[in-house]
Amino acid sequence: MLEDELTVNIRHRDGVAVIDLIGDVTTFAEEKINNAYRQVTDKGARYILFNFRQNDYINSAGIAILIGIVTEVNQNGQRLAVSGLSPHFQKIFRMVGLAQYAEIYQTEDEAISAFKRLNTIN
Amino acid sequence: MSEADGATEQIIEMRLPSRLGYERIAMDTAASLARRMGFTPERIDALRTAIGEAVTNAIEHGNQADAAMKVVVVLTIRTDELIISVADQGRKVLDPAQTFLQPRITDAFQRADKGGWGIWLIRELMDEVEFSFAPGSGNQVRMVVHLERPPVIKP
Repeated sequence: MLEDELTVNIRHRDGVAVIDLIGDVTTFAEEKINNAYRQVTDKGARYILFNFRQNDYINSAGIAILIGIVTEVNQNGQRLAVSGLSPHFQKIFRMVGLAQYAEIYQTEDEAISAFKRLNTIN
Repeated sequence: MSEADGATEQIIEMRLPSRLGYERIAMDTAASLARRMGFTPERIDALRTAIGEAVTNAIEHGNQADAAMKVVVVLTIRTDELIISVADQGRKVLDPAQTFLQPRITDAFQRADKGGWGIWLIRELMDEVEFSFAPGSGNQVRMVVHLERPPVIKP
């Protein structure tokens, strides 16, 4: 009843692998998030966006999962961004230091535009 | 609640099974109370995170996820503050040194275990935080959030 399921959805948009995280990012989310990351990475994704849904529940176990992803993103030379975080979780991402490794955008569209600019420069 | 008597307080007590997910009950209850007390949405979000971390720690560590063991959450409502105490049954005692850690993400990149942010978040988000352990009971964390009211301009 209380072990809320997270729905993970993978889309590709303008050269960016968009991973929608619909639901709560807690310890129960680990396998789904890691699998989604591996799936897009195996297909050669360079730009990855984690698209959250406002007001969901992200706890310290969820933060640890995301730090694990950032570790791999750095090793694999990919770029990671996040969108759709509520102001509270944007603040927590900054406090923890995740924001230094995953650029925060308010919306998916803003993140995609930023990736597009990056792609043109590189 | 009587506004005239500052000592007036109301106490709500919850006993939760040590199963992950039940922290949401404590989070929702505290958030609902905090909203009625007049806390800002920002403070309520902070409160939700802090209580979620405290109860999760009690479930996973203090009670070693034994569902038969209880986590006791006591919410004390005062006119100017909300006090939240979270206690487990102390199957595992929390090392006091653990309650003062300052985790760094660059260290986490090097470690297999990327966790250890919970207690630090509680300290960052709450106005007062105190950890204690009482033999025969368990680990306890007491957290306080002050209700900030617009300043009263005195003549």
